Amino acid sequence: MPSNWADEVDGDEAPQMFTDANGITTHIEFRINDDGKKVKITRRTRKKLIHDKVNKAVAARKKWPKFGREKGNRPGPDSATTNVGDNIKLKLSSTGQIVQDVDEKHEAMKAQLQNKKILCRICKGDHFTTKCPYKDSLGVEDAAATSAPAEEPAAEEQQSGSKYIAPHMRASASSGGVGGRPGSAGPDSREKRDEQPTLRVTNLSEDVTEADVSELFKRFGHISRVFLARDRETGACKGFAFVSFTMREDALRALEAIDGRGYDNLILRVEWAKSSA
Amino acid sequence: MQLRPILLQGHERSLTQIKYNREGDLLFSVSKDHVVNAWYSHNGERLGTYEGHIGAVWTVDVNSSTTLLVSGSADNTAKLWDVSNGKCLKSWEFNTAVRCVQFSEDDKMVLLVTEPRMGFPGTLQIFNVENGVTETVSSDPIYNFNPEGPKITVAAWGALNRYIVAGRENGSVALIEPETGKCISTNKVHELTLTDLQMSSDRTYFITASKDKSAKILETESLEVLKTYTTDTPLNSAAIMPKVQEFVVVGGGQEAMDVTTTSSRQGKFECRFWHKVLEEEVGRVRGHFGPINTIAIHPDGRSFASGGEDGYVRVHHFDDDFFSFKFQI
Repeated sequence: MPSNWADEVDGDEAPQMFTDANGITTHIEFRINDDGKKVKITRRTRKKLIHDKVNKAVAARKKWPKFGREKGNRPGPDSATTNVGDNIKLKLSSTGQIVQDVDEKHEAMKAQLQNKKILCRICKGDHFTTKCPYKDSLGVEDAAATSAPAEEPAAEEQQSGSKYIAPHMRASASSGGVGGRPGSAGPDSREKRDEQPTLRVTNLSEDVTEADVSELFKRFGHISRVFLARDRETGACKGFAFVSFTMREDALRALEAIDGRGYDNLILRVEWAKSSA
Repeated sequence: MQLRPILLQGHERSLTQIKYNREGDLLFSVSKDHVVNAWYSHNGERLGTYEGHIGAVWTVDVNSSTTLLVSGSADNTAKLWDVSNGKCLKSWEFNTAVRCVQFSEDDKMVLLVTEPRMGFPGTLQIFNVENGVTETVSSDPIYNFNPEGPKITVAAWGALNRYIVAGRENGSVALIEPETGKCISTNKVHELTLTDLQMSSDRTYFITASKDKSAKILETESLEVLKTYTTDTPLNSAAIMPKVQEFVVVGGGQEAMDVTTTSSRQGKFECRFWHKVLEEEVGRVRGHFGPINTIAIHPDGRSFASGGEDGYVRVHHFDDDFFSFKFQI
C-alpha cells in the first residue's frame, strides 16, 4: 500500500498516557482496523478504590472453581446463560390505585360499552361493522354513493324494500331522513362529523403531517378523524387542521392543553371548529 | 424506580423452585429439565451444575453453611450434593417422586416428602445428614411416617425443629410432630391446593400461597391466620421480605395449560408486592411471559428472584428508591 506523507507523520504517533488533576487517566493509541484504516482510540478511565466488607464464607465461595457444565470456563458471567433484561418499572404506591389503573381503565371502557348498543355502520344491524355479512357488497358509510349497480340487490334486502332506491336517497333514508342533502357525496357521514366535537388547529408549520397532528392529540383521547389542509400543488400543509374526538371531554382537555403551546417554532391556536351547517 | 433484571437462562424447561443460601450470595434453581444450577446472585454468573437426576427436579434446599445441597426429583430419588464441586454424595431411592425437601434449622436432618402414587402412600421421611460432608450418610430414614388425610404438597420445619408444617392438597395446613408423625392440629385455610409455604426468618410465622388466588400469613404454633392477601389470579409462590421493607411478594398466573389462549397482560404473570401488615398491594413487577412458579427473596432484602414457566430466572436488585419508600396511610 503506497503510504502518503500525512499517514507517515501519523504513523510515528506513539501511545500516549497522561493523568489530569481530577485523577482521570487518558490513554490514546493508534491502531489499524480491519479495513486497513487508521483509528485513534481514546480511553478515559478513573480508578476508585471501594472498600467493602464481605462475609469470609462468601469471599471464599467467590473463588470456587466452576464445575458441572461450567467446568473450565473463565470467571465472569457467560452471555450464553446470563443476560441483562430490559428495564422494568416498579412503581410503589400507598393507595393501591396506580397499580390497578390499567385494569380500571379496562373496566371503565367495559362499563361504557355496556350501555352502548352495537350498531353496524353498513346495515344497522346489532353486530360490529367488521362482522357485517354485507361488508363486501356494501362497503362502509358513504361508500354507498359510489357502489356499483351490480351490488344493489344486497343493499335492497337490507333496506326492507324490493324497489330500487337511488343512492343519495338511500343514504338519507338510513340516517333517519333528517337533514339529508341530496347531491352531496355522503350526507350521512357529514352529519356525523358535525356532531362530533371537532377542534380547529391553526398556525401549524408547513411540514406538519397528519401523523404529527394525531400524535399530538391522541394522548387526550380517541380521535375519530384528522383532516389536514394541504396545498393542492405542493402537498405542503396549509397551516390548519381539524381534529375530531369521540368524547367531548377529551376534546376540551386537548383544547386547554394545546392552545398557546409552541410546536415547530410556532404557537398553536386551538378553538372549537364552527359547524359547517 | 427502574429495575434492571438479570436473566438466567440455565434451564430448558419450566422452573420448579429457586432458593438463596443463608448469606444470599448463591442462588440455586431447579427445573423440569433434570439439572440443578448454582448461580452467583450479584451478577448472575453460573457457578456450576449438579448433574445426575434423570427426571424433573421438583425441589431443592441448601444447608445454612452452604456445604450440602439436597434435591428431590420425579425420578423417585433425592440426592445430596457437595455444593462446592457438584459431586453427588448420596442418592436416596423411593417408590414415588419427591415433592419437597428441607434442611432442619440445625442442619442435622433433612425432611423429604414423597407423593402418593401407584398404590404407594405419601410419606414424610427424615434423614440424618449431620456428618454428610465427611462421611457417608445412612440410606435409612430416622423417621418414616405415612400421614393420613389428603396429599401433602409442601412442608417446612418450624422453629427449633419442634414441628413440621405441612400444606395439603385440599388447602389445609397441618402441624406434625417430627418424632411421632402425629398430626397435632389442622386448619383449613384455603379453598384449593397449597402451592408454596415459606417460613419467616425466625420461623414463628409463615406464608402460604394457594391456587384459590390468595396468600395468607399464619402463626406457626397456633395455625391462626394473621393476614390475607387476595389477588385475582391463582398463586404459585409467596415469599416474605426479611428486611428493609415490610413486604410480601406473591406470584402466579393463569394455569400453564391455558396460557396460549390469552395475552401476557391478561395472564397476570407479575410479581406482586403487598404490604405485609396493612394487606395493601403496593406494586407489581412484570417480565415473565408465563406463570411464575417460584419466588425467592435475598436474605438481605436487597434483591429478589423469580422463576417462571417460561424457563427463565429473573434476578432483580432493588435501588435506593425502593429502600426509602414509606407507605402513606
